[in-house]
Amino acid sequence: MSDLIARSDRLRAAALLSPAYIWLTVAVFLPLSAMIFFSLLSDVPFGDRTWHFTLENYGAFFESTTYARLLWKSLMLGVTVTVVSVIVGFPCAYVLAKVVRGRARGALFLLVILPFWSNSLVRIFSWAIVLRGNGVLSTAIDAVLPWDVRINLMFSPTAIVIGLVHSYLPYVILTSYLALQAIDDSLIEAARSLGAKRRTILLRIILPLSTPGIIAGAVLIFVPVVGSFMEPRLLGGRLGTYYGTVIEDQFVAVFNWPLGAALSFILLAVVLTILAIASPILRRAQV
Amino acid sequence: MAEIRVENLIKTYGEARALDNVTLAFADGGFFGLLGPSGSGKTTLLRAIAGFVIPDSGRVFIGDSSVENTPVEKREIGMVFQNYALFPNMTVAENVGFGLAVRKISGQERTQRVRDALELVQLGPYSDRKPHQLSGGQRQRVAMARAIVTKPRVLLLDEPLSALDKALRIDMQIELKRIQREIGITTIFVTHDQEEALTLSDQIGILKDGRLIRHGAPRDVYSDPRDEFTARFLGEANILSGTPEEKGLRLRDGALISKVKTGSIAVRPENMRITPAKPKSPNCLRAEMRQRIFAGALGTCVLDWQGDVIKVVARDSDFYGVPDTGPVWLSWSDDSTIEIADG
Amino acid sequence: MSNRFLSRIGLLYLGMILFFLYAPILVMAVMSFNASEFYQLPFSYSTEWYERLQRNDEILTAAWRSVWIAIITTIIATTLGTSAAIALFRYEFTGKRVLQVLLFPPIAIPWLITGTAMLIFFFGVGIGRGTPAVIIGHVALALPYVIVVVTARLSTFDRSLEEAARSLGASAWQVTRGVTLPWILPGVIAGGLFAFAVSFDQFVVSYFLAEPGDSTLPVLIYTAIRKGFTPEINAVSTIIIAISMGIMLLAARFSNFGGER
Repeated sequence: MSDLIARSDRLRAAALLSPAYIWLTVAVFLPLSAMIFFSLLSDVPFGDRTWHFTLENYGAFFESTTYARLLWKSLMLGVTVTVVSVIVGFPCAYVLAKVVRGRARGALFLLVILPFWSNSLVRIFSWAIVLRGNGVLSTAIDAVLPWDVRINLMFSPTAIVIGLVHSYLPYVILTSYLALQAIDDSLIEAARSLGAKRRTILLRIILPLSTPGIIAGAVLIFVPVVGSFMEPRLLGGRLGTYYGTVIEDQFVAVFNWPLGAALSFILLAVVLTILAIASPILRRAQV
Repeated sequence: MAEIRVENLIKTYGEARALDNVTLAFADGGFFGLLGPSGSGKTTLLRAIAGFVIPDSGRVFIGDSSVENTPVEKREIGMVFQNYALFPNMTVAENVGFGLAVRKISGQERTQRVRDALELVQLGPYSDRKPHQLSGGQRQRVAMARAIVTKPRVLLLDEPLSALDKALRIDMQIELKRIQREIGITTIFVTHDQEEALTLSDQIGILKDGRLIRHGAPRDVYSDPRDEFTARFLGEANILSGTPEEKGLRLRDGALISKVKTGSIAVRPENMRITPAKPKSPNCLRAEMRQRIFAGALGTCVLDWQGDVIKVVARDSDFYGVPDTGPVWLSWSDDSTIEIADG
Repeated sequence: MSNRFLSRIGLLYLGMILFFLYAPILVMAVMSFNASEFYQLPFSYSTEWYERLQRNDEILTAAWRSVWIAIITTIIATTLGTSAAIALFRYEFTGKRVLQVLLFPPIAIPWLITGTAMLIFFFGVGIGRGTPAVIIGHVALALPYVIVVVTARLSTFDRSLEEAARSLGASAWQVTRGVTLPWILPGVIAGGLFAFAVSFDQFVVSYFLAEPGDSTLPVLIYTAIRKGFTPEINAVSTIIIAISMGIMLLAARFSNFGGER
């Protein structure tokens, strides 16, 4: 009797789950496998082009140092943006979680998160307007400072970092906020009753307990930034060549899809390795 | 160890007075219970002594020094919170040692003191566990050990046993009393459970709506509550009211209770007797039996007198001969009469 | 340093962050009303760019297409995602953990990789580029968000309500329609709004999957920026940001996101 019930439940569960997961399979998992397949080809297998299996796409990565250097450049960009975002964002999350009280908290939180949901392209574009020579920032500084300082931050690594931090900052604020909110006030009171001063409370209680939130935010920032190409192109100009832009080129300009696939797969492997290293920390703190 | 004193404490939140001119002294080395319904101000008073609540006016003394302007961290208190507030990222030993680490006590001395504290609460083998691996009762004891290891001047307990189930609670009450006697620290605790207050306290204080209504030794407060609220709140009481006359109190059914000067009296359920026939006692009433409840060691009889509910408590064997329904006589001795202030 | 002083500094810091987050957006919006074609200051008010926008067929078509794609994405993603979330909530079975983990790849993998992989695969199986491909991609990206939001709402749902309904004889579908869905409706709506925002704002995947002539609005803006642009871009960008933020505000109202309640 109980077996029958379990089976009809299983059928129902399958019926409810399959549409979504079939969709994900077709749209995400199969394509990712296809990408691996593609990376081993010499040329696109469409039309009347001849192709064969080869490892030369992967070989290209190791032949010259160009690709490796660009991958490193992208990884460093990821690290920079992540570190800056965490340093800037965590105190902000702390203020939101522990200093602001009552109704204001929900409203301010929403205000901080809102830009996160606007078009990233448009936001980068707005930075382009602000940062360019004779742009708003330059004009504003000229108006305030007496001497002639022409600021042109556009088309520089700084601009790229600013734009990326602006886009991804809310991620780390969000995850840190959720972790900080979960810290019961009575823990802080207990520490105070034991004689701890502010600095001790921060270092020994608040930071350890909010680390999972910070790491989660860091991962949410690092992964997209490493693969970014739109922001480097728009804000970096000629200096904006990164691993992501090279991959973009393979698909949009050069049409060397197999090479693009191989480079993508290498990036994927690196990213997944980093995630694998980070996940034990995340899971351990699931206490 | 120190004597704790509060003088004329007032604290208002918006419209409500959480503390309404409270003055109270807590003897050095004593176990003081603050009792009252929710919203009575007992927790606010405790937190004012701790320093989490800054009173609008009045003074707080720990020992000889007044501490209203001293922050919590410097008051040398030990506090046990209702939810224990153990640091989840630290082991039991690290939790207990936290206060010592803050005071820059480390190495051998710290390890030894932590070990001693854990021995005192009988949790020696658990020092490397994390809080989430402990049961409720164990967490409570870790919280105790953490609070006392720094040798504070006063120990503050905020409803320390309310999260535990009944059997465990009774065991922990005995434990708490033992630990307190062993270290002799001035202890103030808050509870809404009157039985717990009676069990643990050397002195008891009853709060209502921010005011201190009654304080004293449990036995004194119990036998001489002086007002209806205290009589009902600490233990059970049957309240009988009527009109005061020259000779005594004329109750509503005509009976006269002599030598009573107030408009109401209280008689504890355990001090009344039920008899089928009219007894010789000077204080007796005619009432209707409604229900007889058997609860193991003791039994309760519920009666109706002039529309009011009267309860009588005794050993079940003492109710032998008492019918389940119908009219009976209630009686009690003169020294069981408690005069209740009006208003 | 007193507590009040630190609190003030903290609030000041928060204000600075908010300024940082909104300043460029406000500048862009303000510039859309500036008469100068080359973003020269001083500022002189003009709605010329909005007017020109109305006559710019290319942008309008792309905008319309973006909206349509977003609506279809929302309908599909919400239906599929809600069903999946209900199934994950209601039933226990082996492999459930695996399924839950599988929801992460679309978020955990850089969109660049997902987008290019989709391009390769769709070309290989004959779907190619174009609007259908874009929709398939958008739904795949939106699904995890819908599932997460609906699951969060489901966690507040009292399971015994479903059991009570079943004890009264209701079939699984009747339980879902009469008991579960009404309760989780705010979560479903919030999930739908998230899906709309994800689709409407999506750039990377659309970039690779859209037909060069028939692109979505973000892709159009990108190519326009790279080729050189006029403040019409500001105008349409301002409108987009206003719409996206409006949608998010609605979603927040429905899902009590981050609030005290």
